[in-house]
Amino acid sequence: MVNQLEIRNLHARIVDGETILNGVNLIVPKGQIHAIMGPNGAGKSTLGKIIAGDPSYEITKGDILMDGESILEMEADERARKGLFLAFQYPVEVPGVSNANFLRLALQAKQGGEVNMMEFYGKLQKALKTLEWDESILTRYLNDGFSGGEKKRNEIMHMMVLEPTYAIMDETDSGLDIDALKVVAKGVNAMRGPNFGALLITHYQRLLNYIVPDAVHVMIDGRIVTSGGPELALRLEEQGYDWVKELAATAS
Amino acid sequence: MELTSTLSRDLILQVSSKLGEPDWLRAKRLLAWETFARLPYPTPRTEEWKYTDITEVPFEELSLELPTGQPRAIPQAVQDRLAQAQLSGYAVFVGADLVHVELPEALREQGVILCSLHEAMARHPRLVEENLFRAVNWSDLVGTQQNRPENSKIPALNAALFTHGVFLYIPRNVEFSKPIGVFKYLEGGQLSASRTLIVGDVNSQAVYIEEYISPAKVAPSVNTSSTEIIVGDGAKVRHAHIQLLGQGFYHFHRQRAHLQRDAALNDLVVNMGASLSRAEVQSEMLGPGSSSEMLGLYFTTGLEHVDHYTLQHHVADHAYSDVLYKGAAKDQSRTVYAGLIKVEPGAQKTDAYQTNRNLLLSADARSDSVPQLEIGANDVKCSHGSSTAPVAPEELFYLMSRGLPRHMAQQILVKGHMTDVLTRIPIEPLRQYIESIIEEKVRV
Ligand SMILES: Nc1ncnc2c1ncn2[C@@H]1O[C@H](COP(=O)(O)OP(=O)(O)OP(=O)(O)O)[C@@H](O)[C@H]1O
Ligand SMILES: [Mg+2]
Repeated sequence: MVNQLEIRNLHARIVDGETILNGVNLIVPKGQIHAIMGPNGAGKSTLGKIIAGDPSYEITKGDILMDGESILEMEADERARKGLFLAFQYPVEVPGVSNANFLRLALQAKQGGEVNMMEFYGKLQKALKTLEWDESILTRYLNDGFSGGEKKRNEIMHMMVLEPTYAIMDETDSGLDIDALKVVAKGVNAMRGPNFGALLITHYQRLLNYIVPDAVHVMIDGRIVTSGGPELALRLEEQGYDWVKELAATAS
Repeated sequence: MELTSTLSRDLILQVSSKLGEPDWLRAKRLLAWETFARLPYPTPRTEEWKYTDITEVPFEELSLELPTGQPRAIPQAVQDRLAQAQLSGYAVFVGADLVHVELPEALREQGVILCSLHEAMARHPRLVEENLFRAVNWSDLVGTQQNRPENSKIPALNAALFTHGVFLYIPRNVEFSKPIGVFKYLEGGQLSASRTLIVGDVNSQAVYIEEYISPAKVAPSVNTSSTEIIVGDGAKVRHAHIQLLGQGFYHFHRQRAHLQRDAALNDLVVNMGASLSRAEVQSEMLGPGSSSEMLGLYFTTGLEHVDHYTLQHHVADHAYSDVLYKGAAKDQSRTVYAGLIKVEPGAQKTDAYQTNRNLLLSADARSDSVPQLEIGANDVKCSHGSSTAPVAPEELFYLMSRGLPRHMAQQILVKGHMTDVLTRIPIEPLRQYIESIIEEKVRV
């Protein structure tokens, strides 16, 4: 078995609409954390949502393979149960279901049976402790009235409780103050290990000081244009994207 | 009871005499019958029935459901409800037979009456005669702009032919907060007609839940119910009408509350069953300082059709009313809501709100919503709003991306949509029951 999340020559568009991804190639081996950077509108969030199975996009070419198995035909819920997780750039507010109850349902769906309440409670406690958070967040309705930062932190809490094999985090650092950023990084680092792979979408090199990536990729116009180590993020911070855009122009 | 089965004046006389009714009631039944016989059925050309077509409803092809007088067991479905509902007193009807009624000693000693309407007529004739047909009779819908007479057709049928009912009386200053539950188990295949009369005397307080239950699928059946609620000066009544009839049922409910000075009604209508149902729920603010909260929940699936009409009729000044109806529609089902806030010229300082929101779970589902205001006073606060929107795809995707199968994600979104109504139901077991109905309906 190939232990990796592979995006193979992926072309995609909005259903009956504009093309957004123009041949993305990317491999995230299990055990590694990769970062994707790129200017606004490059297609980073779209890539994340497509990997997670958002039906508002259609794949016109290419494949997505999780541990060697194509997941293109699976609906979002099935992919999640297989071990995929997307921390949303804009988590949705859902009144009527408490945060904890929702997580219990999600875990139950993943395990395919009743959740042991003691075990579940233990996971919640552990996640809350790492994220330096108190229990009151559990009884509130899912994301309902959460501040921007609370929503992001909550996404990480979900990730910690659901323990995915591959996680995509879409700008989880945006809108976080420096303390919250450190805490969220702590959460992600706590997940780090041989059975966890992650793709961090970010605009800020700052995050990568706390979560040191194994590789950094730059996306422009729906394509990965260049890749490198953590030093690539520093260069982007200093020089911006113009040089990469030129690279992209000469390549195509 | 062996009676002529076709609807006729004769049948009414027979029913009335079998039930041992007093002359005044027989006379009223005959008046109602004359109205019924004279009027046409509403059609989609009738403004208030624009979106609901009842031309296929077999009102006159079914036999009238009559009391059998036979002892009958409490059906399992009702036993399950009794086990869950945490009630103080309760009554169970199977068809037109009252098979069980129970009221705690403490309430009986204080003068609370819970019995069949016909028993009440015999034992408390004055109370019944004064109040029966006081709020709901065979006359027009109150408040509609062009009182079309055909609106009275079904209420007239009910008044002429009702075969059973419930009477609840709460004496002056008596209060209880644990609900009284009345369960109507209908076997189907017939025309059922029943009435409920609730009288809350001065400064009393009561909680009453009425539930309609049947097998999941029945032969074509019609149920008509009329509920009258008299809320005396300073009295409080919490009332719920829960309809969970099976496929095959056509359900028609008309309810009207009279609210006297400083009276308060908290009303809830839940329509989650029947092939077609229509509930007309009206509150008349007759006394200054009265208030009426009117909540509604509905969820249709398959080919179901549900129609609600609400009226907030402000006759007196300084009264408050608030309608909040929320529904969801799945598959090819259809929901209709029409509501009117009517403020009479003398009703200054009225505070009246009306909101209807609908969630569509499929492209073929449809909701129509018609909110209306008719304001005759100048110093009032009134607002109304309605909306109908499909489930937001990004919400569904968010929930599914955490591993929840589509139907569970939909369940959560439907409950989320209805949350602001659900949280206003303080009777915990009832709320849980309604949530379980929603969950069940999303699943199938
Ligand atoms: N559902 C959609 N409908 C319309 N346009 C879309 C949709 N999804 C993506 N797009 C467009 O596709 C392009 C890529 O969007 P995407 O959100 O993936 O960018 P991004 O790289 O995440 O940008 P940002 O850094 O601003 O978050 C943008 O031009 C965006 O407007
Ligand atoms: Mg984005």
